[in-house]
Amino acid sequence: MSIPNGSPERDSSSVAPPQLECPSSPPGMDPDPLSTGSPVLSPDSSSHDAVLSAPAVSPADSENLSPDELELLAKLEEQNRLLEADSKSMRSMSGSRRNSGSSLVSSSSASSNLSHLEEDTWILWGRIVNEWEEWRRKKDKLLKELIRKGIPHHFRAIVWQLLGNATDMPVKNQYSELLKMSSPCEKLIRRDIARTYPEHEFFKGQDSLGQEVLFNVMKAYSLVDREVGYCQGSAFIVGLLLMQMPEEEAFCVFVRLMQEYRLRELFKPSMAELGLCIYQFEYLLQEQLPELNVHFRSQSFHTSMYASSWFLTLFLTFLPLPVATRIFDIFMYEGLEIIFRVGLAILQYNQTDLIQLDMEGMSQHFQKVIPHQFESCPDKLIFRAYQVKYNPKRMKKLEKEYTTIKNKEMEEQIEIKRLRTENRLLKQRIETLEKESAALADRLIQGQVTRAQEAEENYVIKRELAVVRQQCSTASESLEKAQDTIRELQQQRYTEPFVSNLQTQLEQSRLREAELLGALKEMQDKVLDLEKRSSCLPDENNVAALQEEVKQMKLRELETLRSFREMQDTVTELNQRWQHHMSRGGSTGGGGGHWKESPKKNAMNELQDKLMTVRLREAQAQAELREVKLKALQLESQNQIHSKLIGRHEQERSALQDRLQMLSNQNKALQAQLNEMKRKQAESDCKSKEEVMAVRLREADSMAAMAELRQKIAELEIQKEEGLIQGQLNHSDSRQYISQLRDQITELKNEIRLLRGHKAALSSRHGGGVGGSTNYQDLCLASPASAEGDYLSSDDDLLPSPLPATALYPSLSTPCHPSARLDSEGSTDSETEERVQTHPDPQQLYGSMVCAEALDN
Amino acid sequence: METIWLYQFRLIVIGDSTVGKSCLIRRFTEGRFAQVSDPTVGVDFFSRLVEIEPGKRIKLQIWDTAGQERFRSITRAYYRNSVGGLLLFDITNRRSFQNVHNWLEEAQSHVQPHSIIFLLVGHKCDLEAQRQVTQQEAEKLAGAYGMRYVETSARDAINVEKAFVELTRDIFELVRSGDIKIQDGWEGVKSGFVPNTVHSSEEVTKGNRQCFC
Repeated sequence: MSIPNGSPERDSSSVAPPQLECPSSPPGMDPDPLSTGSPVLSPDSSSHDAVLSAPAVSPADSENLSPDELELLAKLEEQNRLLEADSKSMRSMSGSRRNSGSSLVSSSSASSNLSHLEEDTWILWGRIVNEWEEWRRKKDKLLKELIRKGIPHHFRAIVWQLLGNATDMPVKNQYSELLKMSSPCEKLIRRDIARTYPEHEFFKGQDSLGQEVLFNVMKAYSLVDREVGYCQGSAFIVGLLLMQMPEEEAFCVFVRLMQEYRLRELFKPSMAELGLCIYQFEYLLQEQLPELNVHFRSQSFHTSMYASSWFLTLFLTFLPLPVATRIFDIFMYEGLEIIFRVGLAILQYNQTDLIQLDMEGMSQHFQKVIPHQFESCPDKLIFRAYQVKYNPKRMKKLEKEYTTIKNKEMEEQIEIKRLRTENRLLKQRIETLEKESAALADRLIQGQVTRAQEAEENYVIKRELAVVRQQCSTASESLEKAQDTIRELQQQRYTEPFVSNLQTQLEQSRLREAELLGALKEMQDKVLDLEKRSSCLPDENNVAALQEEVKQMKLRELETLRSFREMQDTVTELNQRWQHHMSRGGSTGGGGGHWKESPKKNAMNELQDKLMTVRLREAQAQAELREVKLKALQLESQNQIHSKLIGRHEQERSALQDRLQMLSNQNKALQAQLNEMKRKQAESDCKSKEEVMAVRLREADSMAAMAELRQKIAELEIQKEEGLIQGQLNHSDSRQYISQLRDQITELKNEIRLLRGHKAALSSRHGGGVGGSTNYQDLCLASPASAEGDYLSSDDDLLPSPLPATALYPSLSTPCHPSARLDSEGSTDSETEERVQTHPDPQQLYGSMVCAEALDN
Repeated sequence: METIWLYQFRLIVIGDSTVGKSCLIRRFTEGRFAQVSDPTVGVDFFSRLVEIEPGKRIKLQIWDTAGQERFRSITRAYYRNSVGGLLLFDITNRRSFQNVHNWLEEAQSHVQPHSIIFLLVGHKCDLEAQRQVTQQEAEKLAGAYGMRYVETSARDAINVEKAFVELTRDIFELVRSGDIKIQDGWEGVKSGFVPNTVHSSEEVTKGNRQCFC
């Protein structure tokens, strides 16, 4: 809203001479109860200034105005003219006097005219206030012009309220309630109250009325708008309001200012609006004062250093209060635009001075010189402010730009934060990776060393493995053989070679047995011979003695028999004789006569006869006795022979028993041997299995190691890539290093490939072996179904499974039965042999006996 | 008085609102104490020459910042170009002491990639009766962050000179040892002997101005 390129001076010429309307009374006073209390609060001369500057009205406005208004304008123009003259006279009079006295001087010098004019403005403003709606609707531009000239002091209270549309606000009724409440910002507000306009009479002194009401309004606002709460700087605005109006009204106007005049955005905790204002201001500065802008930049004199207080306190803390109040008048109608304009006007005015100063000088200039430049002539500043080019559209565009920039910045900030953390993390990672890579390099070297060692070991192991494999193959062969035999045994079907083998074995064992038996026989024969000899030697003597005895006995027998026969003969002779005698005696006795010698002789004869018979009987008995004795002798000798025979038999029996024991021992030993053999076989089987397992384990280990190495390689590759990137950034050393690493990796890969090839070969070979073993299992297991179940399981399952071993053991134990049977058979064989052997012995004995008998005979 | 200076250090003064930042700076730069001073809205600028050793002068550019939290959006732009800082708290206001950590964090997060040498200042030590923060705990906190601790009073002019001079000396030692380097595009430390800066620093050291804003 720039003024249509018209300066008041030029306009005044085109406007008709004014006619002053009746200056009877200040009518504005009557309808305005608000302003009644305010004159006390006005130490400044702003109203006077307003009057002084009033005539500056643009000609454009006059075209649309009613005659009444035109008349009014004309009056104002007249005032303006008068003022021009007055100010000139004033300047000439007071020269470069300090402005504190200027108003007094001016007022005194032109008092007659001015009081007259003052009355006029009062009438005018009274009318404006009374017909506010109409003025706003129809004479807006004129009103604007009038405001730019300054609102008379006494009208400020009402006009500010009207301009802010703050006359009838519902929040006004809450005010007293708000005062009863307590605000979280109270402490901070209290602290700043004493620092707000400390030099101003109204606010001077602890617990002064001004400080009290200021605190009330600030607190009430902090309660109404909790988001903004209290912001330093805002108290100056409220303080200004309170200089003009009571606290409720000031509160309402302040609320409106915050809501409608971008102030709320300015005072918000984020203060984003301030950033925007500074951005816009910087744009204007760059556009309109490029040299100064360059100078500021070169001195790193930030815009925020001087401009932030301009926007936040609307120049109230920068310029003297009368000047700032004039700016505030315009601000009430036109908003923040005036702040930009005034700011730029100030910089423009001071450009030549500032450009020659450095940072300190500029800050001194801002603090000491600038505030007082316009103390005496605020109109000059406002005039300059309206010469500043200000394009609202452009400003809107800038606002959009700024928000996008801010958004971008915010995003960037977030991004930067994110990147920073990421960067930190990455740095950490790089560090750890570097450490890791160093460690890995060490490990690589170590790994190479160990690899060489391992290669050696591997070679040794391979050789060992070959040996073991051979052993294993032989073992598996033997196992297979055993398995075969087992199967054969299980199936109870002996194959020809096995049978023949067994037979040969049997034959061999029999042969051995026979040999042993032969040896035994020999030994026995020898023993027998020795026995015979040993027995014969004493026996022969005995026999000879006995035979002699027998001969003697027989001779005696024969003698006795002969004697017996002789005796018998004699006896018979005697008997005959006796009978003869008897018959002869009977004949003589009958003939008695013969033996008539004596009777005694007769009895004696008879007795002799009798004796003779007794003797005969005795001889006969003796013969009989001799016969019996002979028989007893014979029996005795026979008995002796028999007892001897019995002794020999017993001896022989014990010998045989010994032999039997020996043989059984031998048999047992053989059996033990057999068992041993079997156990050994089982053991070897076990061993082979274990070895296979060990080989597998080693294989698994090597696989794991390989996987590890592969992982390492992958890691190294990742590192390598990272390193590559880094290396590209850094220098070629790392590239060399990387290439080295890559070579190493390829080497490692080759090794792994080799290993993998080995492993594949191993596994393939082992697969065959395992297949064989599974076959074994299949064969070993009693139920083929379960065997199939196991068969289906993978090789890996087979390896750790105890099946091969356990399957082997029962399979090994099964052949025990046939072997046991074999043993039993063997034992029976040996028994029969023993029997065969033992048989001839009694025969031999008998033979010897017969021989002995034959000899006897 | 010779006005040629060896280095120019830029210092920032931070701390909660109403701990007395502006008063301390004014006492140091202008040698006077204002009973009341406007709350700082945004950032103010001061400067003074300091003689740390006979013949060795350092020019200090001091940034006075607004204490209220919402002004940080403005003040944080000034951390980056500062080599040193006075972190103020009010010994009669415990809350301001508790916020020291927050201030350090705020500074730390906006100073990167540079760093600021901070001096912890317990201000208003003339108000011993109202003391809420003991010297011991303040020293402990300062020690925890590797800062010096000084108790000052702008009203009674206690330790004001000492606070600034000690910080300046510390920075000077770091500059001399090479721990802090002068860099292009960074205004924290600048080398002296620039003739055209002579008159301005003279002007500043006069310290006879009455501040109005």
